[in-house]
Amino acid sequence: MALAATGSSAGSLKRVNKKISTSRSSFRQSMNLGVLVAWIGLLAYGSIIIWSASQSIADASFPRHLLGIGLGSALMLMVWRIDLRNLANLSTVLLVTDIVLIFLPYVPGLSWSAQGMTGWIRFPIINLTFQPVELAKLVTIAFIASLGAQYNGRIDTVRDYIKLCAMLFIPFAAVLIQGDLGSGLVVFFSGAVVIMMSGARKEWVLSTIAIVVGLVSLVLATDSIIDSIFTDDNSLIKDYQMNRLLVFIDPTSDTSDAAYNLQQSLIAVGSGGFFGKGLGNATQSTSGFLPEAHTDFVFAFVCETFGFVGAVVLLGLFALLMLSTVRVAIKQDSLFLKLVAVGIVGMWMFQIFENVGMCIGLMPITGIPLPFISFGSSSMLIQCLAIGVVQSIWRHRSKAA
Amino acid sequence: MDAQLVVVVAGVILVAAIIGSLVFLRGYSGRFTYDTKNGTTPKASEGEGNTPGVAFKGRFTLLTVGIGAMFTALVTKLWSMQMVSSDYYENLAQTNQTRTVTTAAPRGRILDRNGVALVTNRASLAVTGYRDLADDTLLVRHLANVLGMPYVAVLRNIQDNTEGAQARHTIATDVRRSTVAYIQEHAGEFNGVTVDERTERQYPYGTTACHVLGYTSTITQEQLDAQSEDGDSAGTIDYQSGDVVGQAGVESRYERLLQGIRGEQTVTVDAQGNVLGQAGSVPASPGSDIKLTLDLTIQQACETGLQHAIDTAKNAGYENAGNGACLCLDCTNGEILGMASAPTFDPSVFVGGVSSDVWSQLNSEDGGRPLLNRAIGGQYMSASTIKSLSALAGLEYGTYTSTQTTVCTGYWTGNGEAWGKRCWLHSGHGTMTLQSGIAHSCDPVFYDIGNAFYYDEENPEGLQEMFRRWGLGSKTGVDLPSEGEGRVPDAAWKESYFKDWSDADRTWNPGDMTNIVIGQGDILVTPLQMATVYAGIAMGGVEYTPHVFLSAVARDGEGGDAYRYNDGKPRERLTAAIHSQDDLQLVKNGLHDVIYVAEPATAAHFNTLPVEVAGKSGTGEKTNEDEYAWFIAYAPADDPKYVVAAVLEQGGGGSSTALIAVRDVLGAIYGVEDTATGYDSSVR
Repeated sequence: MALAATGSSAGSLKRVNKKISTSRSSFRQSMNLGVLVAWIGLLAYGSIIIWSASQSIADASFPRHLLGIGLGSALMLMVWRIDLRNLANLSTVLLVTDIVLIFLPYVPGLSWSAQGMTGWIRFPIINLTFQPVELAKLVTIAFIASLGAQYNGRIDTVRDYIKLCAMLFIPFAAVLIQGDLGSGLVVFFSGAVVIMMSGARKEWVLSTIAIVVGLVSLVLATDSIIDSIFTDDNSLIKDYQMNRLLVFIDPTSDTSDAAYNLQQSLIAVGSGGFFGKGLGNATQSTSGFLPEAHTDFVFAFVCETFGFVGAVVLLGLFALLMLSTVRVAIKQDSLFLKLVAVGIVGMWMFQIFENVGMCIGLMPITGIPLPFISFGSSSMLIQCLAIGVVQSIWRHRSKAA
Repeated sequence: MDAQLVVVVAGVILVAAIIGSLVFLRGYSGRFTYDTKNGTTPKASEGEGNTPGVAFKGRFTLLTVGIGAMFTALVTKLWSMQMVSSDYYENLAQTNQTRTVTTAAPRGRILDRNGVALVTNRASLAVTGYRDLADDTLLVRHLANVLGMPYVAVLRNIQDNTEGAQARHTIATDVRRSTVAYIQEHAGEFNGVTVDERTERQYPYGTTACHVLGYTSTITQEQLDAQSEDGDSAGTIDYQSGDVVGQAGVESRYERLLQGIRGEQTVTVDAQGNVLGQAGSVPASPGSDIKLTLDLTIQQACETGLQHAIDTAKNAGYENAGNGACLCLDCTNGEILGMASAPTFDPSVFVGGVSSDVWSQLNSEDGGRPLLNRAIGGQYMSASTIKSLSALAGLEYGTYTSTQTTVCTGYWTGNGEAWGKRCWLHSGHGTMTLQSGIAHSCDPVFYDIGNAFYYDEENPEGLQEMFRRWGLGSKTGVDLPSEGEGRVPDAAWKESYFKDWSDADRTWNPGDMTNIVIGQGDILVTPLQMATVYAGIAMGGVEYTPHVFLSAVARDGEGGDAYRYNDGKPRERLTAAIHSQDDLQLVKNGLHDVIYVAEPATAAHFNTLPVEVAGKSGTGEKTNEDEYAWFIAYAPADDPKYVVAAVLEQGGGGSSTALIAVRDVLGAIYGVEDTATGYDSSVR
């Protein structure tokens, strides 16, 4: 209104400018620039890191990483074109898909185990391995979003709120049963963000957090009792998980694997200093002191190689990605798609905070990959898929348009 | 300075980033309203009311704040680790990837005074390898075959935990040259196997001088503990577990000179501890060679002479003979030219570790405790050799004069009939003066002296004072470990030593005096102490501290001395005050008469020597044991240089057995063999 009142000469000039800017921004209309820049930046950053890791770590295959990026980009472009709005009405289908995905590794002929962890499937004939739980994260977000969208932005009764929480508990429990605590927490956190954004009241949320904290301490207490009575096989929490938690509280407490990993990670990060040791000079990561330097502990590798500057650049890219996605969510009119975008932000929030925090001793150790950086095609494909979803939400942001 | 600057810059960037993100946040809400105002997007599309829109705005702000908080937490923690504590982690990373391994330094050799090596090092070829060699079963089996060792033994040595993980582990030592050659020719098959040249102690003359030289063995835990208690005073060697150190004799006393400084190699390793490369090294520097005062010829004469004396004693029926000591001293400077102790041990049994069987045998009473150096650590009653000092005491304190006589009937009743004592010659010596009393070792003369001291009101302990004045009852200060102190008994000692006895029994009585005046009873001396006393008598009262160390050889290889004992000057131990030169001359005349006047059989042994000798025999009496034989002599009598002393435990009379050893040593010095075979067993 204020602009329109400035005068007709200014108005005509604006029309010309608008034409130019329309042609120039037609691409920007369909592709969110912030998300795109952050995504490409992260892929490039990750490629440098994995290439460097591939020089000294046999498991880190640079071509396979590039293959993951290529497949992921294709997937992203495919999803980008689809209007996902219709998924809002398919909540039952989403739930079933979710459960199937989570238990897929138990299907004979598909299951494949790596590093003592089940949770992988291998497609027969083409021999490609994949972690279905990565996809289940996105499906769960869509599922909870489809339920949350029904309340039109405000959950009025506690009954509805509890129903939502119970629905989230189904995939969460399924992932836990499947034995992947880390992914379970990702599912839980992103789902919780969606529920909160769906309009849950603050008091409810706060009391839920209190209950969760209480339950966790109860489980830990029960576990130690069960441990003392029966053997570890019967316990609720595996010994290594308990160790990780204890080590997190005191990194120097013992010299077991968990403590060693954390200690080596801290040394890698700290010794990086301001500018880092430079590519190929990261002794902690390349001489094998830092375990899983190309996967779970890749952030420590980044810190050692590029120092504080490199770490801040990486975190800056992630911040750009997440804030741009928040903007996408704000601009989207469909409540369902809004919630999906928010859920994806929640997923990144948890994964980044947990992964980075674990490397620098802020969080306990869990096996969660750092999106776009960690070596591993499953994660790469699904994260690119998430980008595709976000870009699709941006592209279809206005019903009128 | 640089680091601080960087921290400040980073802090500024961090603050800027936080402010930036706050501005970004504000910008969002601003643009949101701008768009709605422009009308391109409906204000709220969800429904009729505008509450959801407002609510969503608040929720998104909350979410954005959450994201901001998360990144702030991560960056803050990173900042504290990478900017503030990066030096700490840098150090940790450094120590992570380097290990220091040590290389042993050869010990210095031990030479005699003429440069003849008594202890040297022998090269030993050792086959070594890093621990990861054990992973290659095929190679280990092949190596076991080549070395002629069992497979399990080879494997155990490779995986040995006592050596550091990054040090090369010893697989076999003293490997034959042909075997080594085979391994080196087939280097491809023995990848990772290395051949090290080591040094082990070698003793070219076997047991010769074993008690002086001592032996080496691996450092004990007690010694390591003692070292850490001492702290790291400058100049001391920092020992590690597994180091070989001197444990007795010169090896122990001059450990600091002999021990080299070990070399250090810094290697870089990966996480598994595999060695990736060398980062730097400090070569080992060998220990100094040291020269002893020992003369190999005299040393060997001491040993063979002692053995000769023991054999003689055994032939004469003293079947318990076998232990003893014989030493030769240069009385002009205190240098020990030869020092023998029997029985001996072979120091080479300690090379590479001694078995517990051998060790207990070396320390057993039945085996004669061969590790004991009896020349400095054996404490015996001095017997009649002390009569020289008793005579000087009598003369000085007036308890006996040079013209006084005693009639020896073989039984002395000077202290009353009830306390009568025998002379060793039961038939009696007749009328004796002090000089002839020394020559014939007539006991009643000295009983008179001892008795007179007991009843002397001014100097009741003048006799003990004289003994102590000449250095008895205190260590000589010889530079060898485990020296005995001896004992000069007096009233106070007796009262405190026999605590459990009644007061009457531990009262000092005339019998005690008449005992110690002839060197019997509770008096204890070491052979070295007595040799030093006679050196003092020969030198007019001056005693030099006996020593075996002559010099440390300079490391420049030209054989010069880097460091000499007391800068090459003799170290004076004490100067015994001489009351009157006449007194000393009387004693010296007596010592001359011991050799040449008292007994023709004794004179026959020494007449063949080109120089005149003075000396004294002694025969200690111990209940339930055969007599302890003593003989001490110095030569030439007119210009003394050499003092030789010999003791034989349960070896019979001094003039008959111990004399043999002394004569053999003097014979070696002057190149004249002892041709006399006779001896008079009745002379003591």
